[in-house]
Amino acid sequence: MTETLDLDRRQLDEVTKVLLDRHCGLEYLRERMDAGEAHQPALWNRLAETGLVSALVADEAGGAGLTPRHLPGVLHATGYHGVPEPFLETAVLGVTILGAYAEDPWVADQLRALAEGSLLVAVRLAVLDPHVAFAAQSDLLLDVADDGTVTAYPTAEVAVTSLEAVDPLRPVARVALPGSGRVLGVDPALARRVRTLAVAGSACQLAGAARRLLDLTVEYVSVRHQFGRPIGSFQAVKHKIADVAVGVDMAEAAAMGALDAVDEPDAAARAAAAKAYAGDAAARANVEALQLHGGIGFTWEYHLHFWLKRVMALSVAYGTTAAHRRGLAADLLNRTGRREPGHE
Amino acid sequence: MSVNIMTEHNGIDQSSTVDVFRSEVREWLAANAPRESLLPWTSREGFDQHRAWEQTLFEGGYAAVDWPIEYGGRGADLRLTMAFAEEYYRVRAPERVNMGGLYLLGPVLMQYGTEEQRARWIPDLLACNTIWCQGFSEPGSGSDLASLSTRAVRDGDHFVVNGQKTWTSMGGFADWIFALVRTDPEAAKHRKHSGITFLCIDLRTPGVEVRPLAMVDGTKGFAEVFFTDVRVPVENVVGGVDQGWKVAMSTLGFERGAVFGDHAKFSNDVAALAGLVRRRGLEQDTLALDELGRVLVETEVYRANVYRLAALAEAGGNLDQTASINKLFWTEMQHDIFATGLRLMAEEGGVVGGDREVLPGVDPVTAHAWKDWHHRYWYARAAMIFGGTSEIQRNIISERVLGLPMEPRPT
Ligand SMILES: Cc1cc2nc3c(=O)[nH]c(=O)nc-3n(C[C@H](O)[C@H](O)[C@H](O)COP(=O)(O)OP(=O)(O)OC[C@H]3O[C@@H](n4cnc5c(N)ncnc54)[C@H](O)[C@@H]3O)c2cc1C
Repeated sequence: MTETLDLDRRQLDEVTKVLLDRHCGLEYLRERMDAGEAHQPALWNRLAETGLVSALVADEAGGAGLTPRHLPGVLHATGYHGVPEPFLETAVLGVTILGAYAEDPWVADQLRALAEGSLLVAVRLAVLDPHVAFAAQSDLLLDVADDGTVTAYPTAEVAVTSLEAVDPLRPVARVALPGSGRVLGVDPALARRVRTLAVAGSACQLAGAARRLLDLTVEYVSVRHQFGRPIGSFQAVKHKIADVAVGVDMAEAAAMGALDAVDEPDAAARAAAAKAYAGDAAARANVEALQLHGGIGFTWEYHLHFWLKRVMALSVAYGTTAAHRRGLAADLLNRTGRREPGHE
Repeated sequence: MSVNIMTEHNGIDQSSTVDVFRSEVREWLAANAPRESLLPWTSREGFDQHRAWEQTLFEGGYAAVDWPIEYGGRGADLRLTMAFAEEYYRVRAPERVNMGGLYLLGPVLMQYGTEEQRARWIPDLLACNTIWCQGFSEPGSGSDLASLSTRAVRDGDHFVVNGQKTWTSMGGFADWIFALVRTDPEAAKHRKHSGITFLCIDLRTPGVEVRPLAMVDGTKGFAEVFFTDVRVPVENVVGGVDQGWKVAMSTLGFERGAVFGDHAKFSNDVAALAGLVRRRGLEQDTLALDELGRVLVETEVYRANVYRLAALAEAGGNLDQTASINKLFWTEMQHDIFATGLRLMAEEGGVVGGDREVLPGVDPVTAHAWKDWHHRYWYARAAMIFGGTSEIQRNIISERVLGLPMEPRPT
């Protein structure tokens, strides 16, 4: 059972890496950045053709019938490669929501279109995040309210105000929902699961993006020479990088572990902890990566800023570090307060 | 003694689930764990209490559940080992003494020891009849461990040892020391890691002098150990004469790597912090929530890492590359927990416990907990130094894990 899961994961990770290496490299990101447009059907179609977009869609609806537990590595890779597409939003959150109502023929049609790659979904989780990622690019907007009410809106009917995002390759918007959406149902458990997936999934992406900053920095300081030696041989440089490496490594453990634990009773807490920690670790990676690149890293021309911005964007998405920390602390106080006090 | 005589405890039924094992452990701890906390092990009386507890653990078959059955363990896999530790710390059972034996020498003997050595040392170690200490550091050789100069000269079937070790944890309570000694000074001229031998020495041997040293908190937790013409049988060499460096590195790997299950200990500490926040009425204070949340997050992350490493180990993976990252993370996390506690104690953070008269309004349990908190705070500071300082871990991570260019070495 776990062995097949491991095997499937390895295959998915490999497929994703090959695809993104080839089609979502530095030039591609540069081109999207210059075009001022993140999403591009060509890349999304490739993700769909490979089966990644429909990985979580049930077999009978044309997908692979996998679970979110298959995807830690794939989500990590989308961060590592700076993928400028709503993969988490559409292929994970969107599919989870729509999949829960697939007996509704209208929903089934949406799901089929999504699986084919012709429908982009954005998800509004107002308790976690005031903004909606990829709203302006989406075809369908799903609102998951705090009380578990799930409502679908064709994006064309929603007032979407695009905001100037810190990361142009992860666009965000404010949305004003019209009075009349299509209520799919009220399901607090589903809402909880979607929130957990958003938090754990974005933590995986964040860890991936932070890993890229680490790799870029290791690479750069190994070749850049000053004072007749590689700057990476200076201990002051090494020690900063070592601290970044600890953060990235532990963020991966926590984030990928949290997604793996999505079916456990404490899934939400694990996801929150992972997201809070990944935010911190990525902030450290952000600061040190630019510092250690010096002037070149500060240019628009050099690619470092793709990931500096991605980690900034993701670390505030689906709950900030501070919000998750305080939420966890408040839960702990509630829990331990009931069976008074734990001083042995 | 034959190895089989050591088999005192049965292995765990392999079909036994984590839950079944957990309830077995829970029941046993409920019946046997001391109800009151023991005195600190840094006093003689406290140490004896801890040793007695170790012996109880041994008799119950819980001294080292993960060790192979033939060495007195229970052959528990990592899931069960972690379940044991989680239960152990859940009831806040005493700190383990004989760490040097259990966590360092034992595993080293399983890797590099001879059958004869294992049979000779492991049963007593496990039963806590012998306390082991680690003799690596010297006055002139700390971070630069390979520069060590304690000498061992072969004389027939013995080595004659001269030199000094220092900062030896539990040295004042120990019976044996596993030490690094230089057996080939010539080899060191070419490569200083050569010519070092890992040697086990009975501290009662004539010529050994142990001088306990007071630590920063006033307790005599470590010692200096002097060797003057100390005769040690050649069969006490572990891993081969002049082959000690690799044995030492393996020891340090165990010291830095994950202790499966100790995340549960840190979760207790964070729960205690929550109690502190409540007693100070800071439940709504955003700064306090942020501090509590931060350390809680760190312990959750550490738990996730322990589970990841366990999965890696069970799949036959190599954990060598993970040890320094693990050590740097957990020591910084531990420091953060205890320093945060002192901050949350606010003005009282400057007071190291005391009784009702000196601390009016503070109940004795809390006062005791404060004292304990300070003790553990200092331990957290020490952990960033022993087992290779944080700076040394950063050197290892950058050069050996990430492959950054080496620093120019003096020629
Ligand atoms: C409580 C406690 C218990 C201990 N228990 C034991 C024990 O049981 N057995 C044992 O053998 N040892 C023990 N030690 C010793 C411990 O391993 C050493 O203290 C440690 O390795 C550092 O060596 P040092 O004290 O000589 O400091 P030094 O090596 O002199 O280091 C001083 C400072 O310089 C820094 N430094 C040194 N070299 C470098 C470098 N290359 N790059 C960057 N910075 C560097 C260090 O990080 C440190 O900050 C214990 C220490 C303590 C505090």
